[in-house]
Amino acid sequence: MEDKTVIIKIRQQDDPDSASYWQSFQVPCRHHENVISCLQEIQRNPVTLDGQAVIPVTWDCNCLEEVCGSCTMLINGRVRQACTALVEHLEHPVVLEPMSKFPVIRDLQVDRTRMFENLKKVHAWIDIDGTHDIGEGPVMSDSIRAQRYALSECMSCGCCLEACPQFTRDNTFLGAATFSQVRLFNLHPTGALAKEERLEAVMGEGGITDCGNAQVCVEVCPKNIPLTESIAEIGRQTSLKMIRDLFQK
Amino acid sequence: MGRLRKDQFHLLLIKTHSLTGLIPVGAFLVFHLAANSLRTVGVWQYKLSIDLINNLPFLIWIEIIFIYIPILFHSLVGVYLSFQGKLNVHRYNYGRNWMYTLQRLSGGVIFAFLVYHMGTTVVPKLLAGKEQFEAAPFLISVMNQEFQTLGGRVIYMVGIMAATFHFANGLWGFCMSWGILVGAAAQRNASLIFILFGLVLTVIGFATVVEFSMNPIEVQATVPESF
Repeated sequence: MEDKTVIIKIRQQDDPDSASYWQSFQVPCRHHENVISCLQEIQRNPVTLDGQAVIPVTWDCNCLEEVCGSCTMLINGRVRQACTALVEHLEHPVVLEPMSKFPVIRDLQVDRTRMFENLKKVHAWIDIDGTHDIGEGPVMSDSIRAQRYALSECMSCGCCLEACPQFTRDNTFLGAATFSQVRLFNLHPTGALAKEERLEAVMGEGGITDCGNAQVCVEVCPKNIPLTESIAEIGRQTSLKMIRDLFQK
Repeated sequence: MGRLRKDQFHLLLIKTHSLTGLIPVGAFLVFHLAANSLRTVGVWQYKLSIDLINNLPFLIWIEIIFIYIPILFHSLVGVYLSFQGKLNVHRYNYGRNWMYTLQRLSGGVIFAFLVYHMGTTVVPKLLAGKEQFEAAPFLISVMNQEFQTLGGRVIYMVGIMAATFHFANGLWGFCMSWGILVGAAAQRNASLIFILFGLVLTVIGFATVVEFSMNPIEVQATVPESF
């Protein structure tokens, strides 16, 4: 068991504008080892397969228990978190690439600012007291709470966007994670005060109409969030708003 | 304000694209396949339907407004939409992703088929002199010619299959984008029903092709001498 090794092939990139290149490393593979610990092994001993000493590979990680989303990368071509990718369960050699839908910062690190910007665009928060007290929030039913809990598990890892055929580097598509947050905050009794604003934000270019219903988002979501239901629900809310606006505005 | 107008235009464009797929384009497809399947019922029934349709008042305007313009609009917006995404079914091999991919591919197939189909039917019809033109004998002889060769039959079968698939899957997409289907189970059940519906349409279309291929007919003009 102890002397088993695994070859890790990594697509690296020195800075955001330079070309990517491949490097392979051989690391010892212990029982229950995950991709992160392989990367840590490379960090300790940054020597490639052909014996060349190189600068260690960089990557993002934080919680190591699949709740922060920062170690999201392509592992054997498929987007997922490196922390829950156990090497024993992967096809060898293990191929690591940075996410392709976001700008690369360095090696496996990407810049997911677009996701945060999208959340800001759709007012993905609940307004609380400002200069005046807006009072106590209404009571929420337990079924709504349960629905919201599932949606609130989104960690903005970006798996749904990486796997989405409609989400590309060239367009402004908001993507499944963003629509699901619109649903989450529209479901909250106090959050619903800004419902119209949120719907308007997803009723334009890059908005809900640009979803092609390929439904890959829900297949790759590590938190099993019902993303396609969120998309359909926001489709319903925006369609009704559009029809309402046609007759009222 | 300029930004807002652009967004409103985009919303309207995509929603209209979705709606035209159902009405009138999809509705026309169903009507077209159903009316032509009268060929499998009998010669006079088929001839009657051709006479009826081709003697409608303002037919060319009905065709332009309810068929040609909506199809052209749906096609152009469809091309624009297909350039917005990037197919990835080789990497994420899921049923729905295949449907997404096939929806775009079938759109292209239908467009090519329509160019052929209109070139061999509508164009000669428009070119034929109004004085000598009698819809039923003329169109039936055109269709006999279409189905004379195996190649012609295959072209029609591919065209029909692409159209029925695109419509059946598009109906599901319509229900998604307008928020008619929300729950995962409702989405799955509806997609099964739409697959069945698409199969029925395909069978109707294929039956007409088979009837024409195996049993070509000639008919006379319907104008009675006394008129």
